[in-house]
Order: sequence, then C-alpha cells, then structure tokens
Amino acid sequence: MRSNPFGKQFTASALALAVSLGAHAVTDEDIMNDHNTVDQIVTYGMGVQGQRFSPMDALNTENIQYLQPAWAFSFGGEKQRGQESQPMIKDGVMYVTASYSRAYAVDARTGEEIWQYDARLPDGIMPCCDVVNRGGALYGDLFIFGTLDAKLVALNKDTGKPVWIKTVADYQAGYSMTAAPLIVKGKLITGVSGGEFGIVGTVEARDPNTGDLLWTRPTVEGHMGYVYEDGEKIENGISGGEAGKTWPGDMWKTGGAATWLGGTYDPDTDSLFFGTGNPAPWNSHLRPGDNLFSASRLAIDPEDGSIKWHFQTTPNDGWDYDGVNELISFDYEDNGKAVKAAATADRNGFFYVLNRENGDFIRGFPFVDKITWATGLNEDGSPIYNTENGRPGNPADADGEKGETVVAFPAFLGGKNWMPMAYSQDTGLFYIPSNEWSMDIWNEPVSYKKGAAYLGAGFTIKPANDDFIGVLRAVDPKTGEEVWRYNNPAPLWGGVMATAGNLVFTGTPEGYFKAFDAKTGEELYKFMTGTGVVGTPVTWEMDGEQYVAISTGWGGAVPLWGGEVARVVKDFNQGGTVWTFKLPSDRVASH
Amino acid sequence: MKSVYRFGWSLVVTLMCVFGPVQAQESRSLIPDRTLDIVQDSGFLNVGMYQDFPPYSYEVDGEAKGVDADLGRRIAEGLGVEFRPYWIIPDENLGDDLRNHIWKGHYLAKTRIADIMTRVPYDSTFKYMRDSTGEMINEQVVFVGPYQQERWQIAFDEDRLDGVDTIAVFQYHPIGVEVDTLPATYLTSAFGGRLRDQVQHYSNVGAAFEAMAQREVAGVMGMRAEIEHQLESYAGKGFAKAGNGFPGITKQVWDVGLAVRHTHRALSYAVEAIVDRMVRSGEMAALFANHGLSYSRPGYYDAILGPEESGE
Repeated sequence: MRSNPFGKQFTASALALAVSLGAHAVTDEDIMNDHNTVDQIVTYGMGVQGQRFSPMDALNTENIQYLQPAWAFSFGGEKQRGQESQPMIKDGVMYVTASYSRAYAVDARTGEEIWQYDARLPDGIMPCCDVVNRGGALYGDLFIFGTLDAKLVALNKDTGKPVWIKTVADYQAGYSMTAAPLIVKGKLITGVSGGEFGIVGTVEARDPNTGDLLWTRPTVEGHMGYVYEDGEKIENGISGGEAGKTWPGDMWKTGGAATWLGGTYDPDTDSLFFGTGNPAPWNSHLRPGDNLFSASRLAIDPEDGSIKWHFQTTPNDGWDYDGVNELISFDYEDNGKAVKAAATADRNGFFYVLNRENGDFIRGFPFVDKITWATGLNEDGSPIYNTENGRPGNPADADGEKGETVVAFPAFLGGKNWMPMAYSQDTGLFYIPSNEWSMDIWNEPVSYKKGAAYLGAGFTIKPANDDFIGVLRAVDPKTGEEVWRYNNPAPLWGGVMATAGNLVFTGTPEGYFKAFDAKTGEELYKFMTGTGVVGTPVTWEMDGEQYVAISTGWGGAVPLWGGEVARVVKDFNQGGTVWTFKLPSDRVASH
Repeated sequence: MKSVYRFGWSLVVTLMCVFGPVQAQESRSLIPDRTLDIVQDSGFLNVGMYQDFPPYSYEVDGEAKGVDADLGRRIAEGLGVEFRPYWIIPDENLGDDLRNHIWKGHYLAKTRIADIMTRVPYDSTFKYMRDSTGEMINEQVVFVGPYQQERWQIAFDEDRLDGVDTIAVFQYHPIGVEVDTLPATYLTSAFGGRLRDQVQHYSNVGAAFEAMAQREVAGVMGMRAEIEHQLESYAGKGFAKAGNGFPGITKQVWDVGLAVRHTHRALSYAVEAIVDRMVRSGEMAALFANHGLSYSRPGYYDAILGPEESGE
C-alpha cells in the first residue's frame, strides 16, 4: 500500500475503514506511477505514456480459460450507441463514462452503482461521428470528463456532485469533447474536437481544481498561443513562428488540425504528445503547401504549451488521414545503446518510430497490407507520394463530368483509427487494432450545399478482402516485422491491452471479448458480451485476485457509413454494459 | 477532424416536439406519417428552412422572416393550415439534409421531420443520381415546385475598384467569400490559382460585407439574393453589383424548388399546384420584390412558357 501522511496514526482496522470509504485523493505521484501500480488505474492509457501494459501475471496463458464474469453493470436508459470508454479504478471503485456524456461510479467488487451523472445536453445536439465518450481523468477528489457540448465537468469522485463545469468551446460551431483528459504535473490537459469548417485545433491546460485556463496552444501555423497569469492573458509566441509559411492566402485562419483524440505524456523528456486532424478545406488542390501542423504529432512543453518539435505524417493531406492517433513512448536497445523512442500507427497506413527527444524519424514501414497513396517514406519520414494516381483529383477541373475515380488504400477511416494499441515491455511488440479497407473517391459532377451549387467529392469505403476487414497485428518496432496477425470479419474498433501474463486483450464488433497469446497470436479465450465491443480493456488487482473489465456496446463511426462496410455490421445489436471478469484466486495455483 | 468525405452530423436547433411523446424503442420507422390528409387534419405544416440564412430564411424576435418563410406561409395558407417553421442547420451537402430532414430523420432524432423543405435545388441530374452500388440516392424524395433561379454574383467597393469587368481584377485586390462554398473553391482554383492569395474566407456573406466595410476586402462573392440583401443594409456605402461573368465555373445558375417525402405524394401535388400558380401569375416575382430582391423565373418554365422576358 502506498504511504500516506496519516497512515502511521491509524490502526490496521481504521485503515481498512478508510479504504472502504474510498476517501483517498489521487495524487500526481499516483498518476506518474500508474503503469507500475496494479491495484488502481488512474490514467487513460494505464500510464501516462499510454503503453496499456500491465505488469500483472497472475492471469496468464496457462489459466486464462478460467477467467470468469464477476459482474456486469448496465449504463441503463434508452440511450445506447457506441461505448468507447476505458474504465478507471481507485480504492475499489470503478469510474467509467458512457455514450451521451454520462459518468458512473460503481463498486468494483460487486458492480453496484454508487453514483451516476448525466450531463444535460442541449436538445437537438447532433455531434459528428456518434455520441461516444472515451473516458475521464482522476485528480484529487475529482473525476473530470468532457461532454458532447464541449464542456469540461469536474465531479466529486465520491459523491458524483459537480464541483465545476466550464464551457470549452461552442458546440453550435461544431465543437465537441469525447477524449479523456490528461493530468500532468497538476495541470489538466485537453484537446478539442471540431466537426465543422472554420475551426482551429488547440491544446489547453487548466487548473484541475477550478477549470481556469493556464495556457493555450493552437495547432495551426500563424495562431498566437497564450499563457494566463493571475487572470491575465499573455502572448506566448505564434505557432510555427508566423502565418503563411505552409498555407496559401488566409487559409491558415480556418486550417482545421483538431486535437480530438487527446494526448499522452512522457516524463523522461517532459513532453506532451498530441496528434492533429486533417486540414481544411478538404480539397488539397486549393491549399498547396505542407499545411502545418495538420496531420502531425506535436511535442508540447507542459509548463507553457510551447511546441518543442513536430512530425507531420501526411503533408498537404488529400485523403482525410487525421494525424490524431496516439504516440506511445517506449525504450529499446540498439546495438547496446538505449533509444528513447515513441511510436504511432497512423491513419495513412504507416507505422512511425520517432526519437522522442527531438522528433527525428528513426524508421517507418507499412503496418497494413496495402498502401496506394504513397510508395514509401523518405529518409526524413516524409511520404513519397504516388504522383500517378494516388491523389484525388481537383473537382474544380471536373468540367461537369464525373471525375475519374481514385482508389486509395487505406480508406479515410484509417489503417488504424482512434482505438488505442498496446506495447508489451516483455515481448517488445506493438499490438495494433487495424483494418484493411480502401476508398473510392471521385469528383461529384452535381453537388449542392445549403441551397447553392457546390463542388463535392463522392466516396465509398470498400473492404479490401472478402472474408475480413479487421486485423489485430503484433508488430516489431525495430524491424517492421509482423510477428502474428488475427483476422476478424468486422472492422476492429476497440482498444487493446497487453499484460505480463503473455496475454493480449481486445474486443470485436461481433461481440466477443478475446485474449490472445502475446508471442504467438493463438486465440486463448473468448466471451460473448451480447453486443459489439468498441471499448478498451483494463486489468487490476483487488483482494488478491486479478480483474479485467471492458465497456461494451456497439457503435462509433463505422455503422454511420454506408456502402459495403455497413453490410458487414448492420445486424450487430447496440448495448451499454461494463463486463468485469476475474481469475478466482484458487486458479492462480495452476500457473 | 472531418472533411466532405465524412458524414458530419450538424447540429439542429431546439424545436418543440410537435409529434407528441418521443417513442421509447428504436425501430425502423419512427417517422410520423404526414400525408396530405393528416397535415390538413392536424392544422399545421412544418416548413423546413435553413437557419440564419438571410434573405431566404431567418428569425427575428421569434418570427420567421425571409422570402422562403413567406413562401412557406403562402403554401400553408393554400392548404388551409397554420405555417410552422422547422429550422435546419445545413449538413455537408444537400443529400445529407434531405436524409436528415425529409426521408429518414437524423439518427439521433428520428421522429423529427419536415413536411416540406424549401431552397432545394431542382435538378434532374441530381434527382436521378446513383451511388457506387447503382442505387438511386434520392429515390425517397420527390422534388417539386421550382420557384426561382439563383445565381452567383459579386459586389464590390466602388471606392477601391472602378468596376469588375472580369474577375482578373481580384489578382490584385482581396475578395471575400463564405468558407466551404463554390465561390471559395472557384476563386482559389480558377486560372491556376492566380487569385488564391487574395481570397479571404468568412463564416458567411454578412461577415464578408462587414470586412468590406472595414476595407479588408474590395469585393464579395455570394448568391445574388444574399448580395442584394447585404447591399440594401449597406446602402450609401458605395458598394455596387458587378456585371462580370465567371468563366470556367461549374454552375452559374440553378433552379430552386421544394422537397417532400416520396410517401407523401398527394401533399407534393397540392404544394406544386400552389407554387405553379404563383410563378405563372407573377405572385412569386412580387414576393421577391417585396423583399427588395431581383427575381429570375426557374429555367424549368422556359420550355413551357418560352424564354423569360428580362433577366434583371
């Protein structure tokens, strides 16, 4: 048990009572040690670096078949849709969010509800891309999460009562918050989702106790960042130095680059890592240039929001390859030399290994079976574009005819989308939930928008293979080798977790919660949850037993698309349940 | 985080739930059946109009204003029912709006639907468009009652420009447009992008006019009715309509009509009859004139009534 200042004054029984009352505050130390702590989960990512690796091995390849459901908790209500949340655990209480900006505290031993908080969403709110929430942050006595109407809500974690609520952005302008906030060195760090043209992405730091702004950092070149001191807003440098270096005209003013998936933190280099979305407008021919910092990873100083370095995965993006996917810090040895690296599996189908001290490109390789928009990567990690037929045409050249169809692998939903991958410190492999699909894009000869003639593009997503779309892959970041793969009929849309028990967990839209041998990929366990799984699993120890939990409930962006992918998933039922499993203590012996 | 490739579900304004209690269970069709008989029995007509879209449809002190709102009133009157505005926040394209508000309902608000929708381009190519699998995209919608022909138009600051003989002048002078519109695409791509650096993007045509008043831009491009509406607000400021053409633009004029759900054909016929009478009798032109707007008859009528006498 962690030391606490009053610990010595309590008797053993008083301590037990305190624990059962759930009265412990979450400290910065708790958060920084989360990856090594087995009795609680106080970060999104099971550690600020986001490795999603548990050092626990009580549950392992030898006894996984004895994993059994302990309890199931329903989010209730008429509202279901996609459940993409990662649960958190503190003092025997599970904190979990659900669709439609709901939050719950549940007794982690029994599944009994302690409190529920339903954000009051404006009537008629219609956010882009489903009504998901991916999780919250714990700090002090607070549980903090973002809402679909772009507010941050801080609840007392023991009572569920609101302590403060701050409007981050205007939902009517298309802003939303679905990512889990990040706590770093006493600061609450968030990005923002934006569904409409005219937005500019930002990363913001707030005081977690009050919600007051500490700094803001726009993610498009030309916009001023600010720090706030004693309520005063002080200029802190323009992102990228000045406007107009990589954008034509005034397009930087509405450049996009939304930071909608949140970020990770690396204590070794004291850097926040945030990814950014695609640039606006969608037609890349109108904005020649790299369009920084769209489709990039940014390393940001948590003290004042300054950008330390950036790495752009898709310059002048023309395929809607958001660069938001998580950048996970990890260390490895190269000829006896320790390398401080970070890796990301991008929408664009390439896996990138970067030097996390300076953003230098170390290596990159495709992690999907086929990429057509680029033929490879240059020495600096920039793409070698397929200039023949890789980029969708300029609709302005369409001349009233349906333009030539460009087939692009991967589809804009990405070789990998939002769903977090995991890194095993034991195997040294990344476990990537990925999908094999392409998109056809063509210039639409007749298109209208808001009562006016318009120039649009039509698209459709197609599975790359007849019998599977999803692929869970084990990839060696040092060689690019695919060590094993598991093919799944429906697209994979849930997160992954690895453990020291040589196990890899994830869920499928078909409804199975599955475990695989981390070294061989052999499927060792499956449990039908009754609805599609698009959540992210966690594991922890309680009363000497190892528990595993995952939110279930089919939804997210996949069912919103038509075409051939919709046919694969149309019969999956919605739901809204946290399933919690445990390995009974008498089964550990079989190890 | 999105582009035109995505279904970007836009936000729709709060509306009183006019269809009674929301059903608890999801099923395939929650869309209220609003046939002509039911509309007339109910005593009201939900008229779909884009929100905050002057001079077509907008709200002032809780009252629906604009030329489309007035057209909706005339149609409701013709059906003998009360006019009820149904506000629409535009999604990424017309197909999305028709799906969300006419034939399917938005996936988060499936019971909310408009009886008719105004300002819907009337274009047989669009009507019969097919998706990649060969399915007709808009077969759930009937397009009726073309009531106006709309076109692109530039206004300019006479203090800064002698005139706009051709758009080439905007190689040297800044011009304002609404973001993500055909003028934005056209001006940033035409002539190999030679105007691109002069194009300034604003959230709407009104904001672009404000910028022209602040001398940020020398011209504004938008739809003719929008431009005329702003010119009236800025009367006496030295802003004028330009007479230039738009070489190479994909579509310079288009007809605008109404959309009705395909299962409500009797309603569509009744609406069509009212609108047709208004166009032929000159009432439609008068309605636009009341708003200080030029009127062009839909090209649809050229084949029926012969060429229109004067464009402006």
